[in-house]
Amino acid sequence: MGRYRLKKMHKGDKPLKEKYRTKRRTRDLDQIHGDMKSPDSLLKQEVDLDKPGAAQFYCLTCAKYYVDQKALSDHFKSKPHKRRLKALETEPYTQEEAERAAGMGSYLL
Amino acid sequence: MRVEKCFFCSAPIYPGHGINFVRNDSKFFRFCRSKCHKAFQKKRNPRKARWTKAFRKSAGKELTVDASLEFEKRRNEPVKYNKELWQNTVKAMQKIEAIKTRRQNHFIANRLKKGKELRKLADKVEVEKNIHLIKSPAAGLKQKKQMVEVVMERDVEQMEEN
Repeated sequence: MGRYRLKKMHKGDKPLKEKYRTKRRTRDLDQIHGDMKSPDSLLKQEVDLDKPGAAQFYCLTCAKYYVDQKALSDHFKSKPHKRRLKALETEPYTQEEAERAAGMGSYLL
Repeated sequence: MRVEKCFFCSAPIYPGHGINFVRNDSKFFRFCRSKCHKAFQKKRNPRKARWTKAFRKSAGKELTVDASLEFEKRRNEPVKYNKELWQNTVKAMQKIEAIKTRRQNHFIANRLKKGKELRKLADKVEVEKNIHLIKSPAAGLKQKKQMVEVVMERDVEQMEEN
């Protein structure tokens, strides 16, 4: 086994670590809950050529830009989007809830 | 100094332990250990991870509503030092803790009673369904046959005597 092949085969947890770096951090569910209360600033954005699709095709629940209307409507039919919709049905988890679960006050959902 | 609670598993975080994550909207997330931090990075829901306090409470595994749970709170009111007050508080804490553990244990014991009943019921059903393994369904037939043979022999004997 050559050095190059050895390197490719023994990655360890590097791909995972890269995936979860703050650089690649996506919006959390509780942030999206906030977005959904005032959606206009995200759904009616001005043309920004640095963003995909000039920031005109944005999925609010998945916090993602799409390149055109077709890509966006295809995304609406997709599994990840539907999964996200379901996940957003419940109240977001907060530090206050964590504290109530720890025995600081009664825990009611 | 404060003993904070872990965002993910609700465990106490003593000074010098755990890690803080500050999101770009300046919100604080405190974690007691790397296990909780990693789970948060993976965007796991603490209500669904079975090992967290949030799961145990939301699934009804532990005592959730009780007066003994109302003492420990984040009060954000500075209290002037007073030795007597401090001593009384420590004494009260110990008493409350004892009451709390007793009630929690009682709750869990009550919850487990249900399982015991269900298991008993399941055992009964199993025995009823698999009774043929203990007692052959042909056992009754065999007995009948023997009885018939005995009767026939007796008849034959009687006939011979006559």
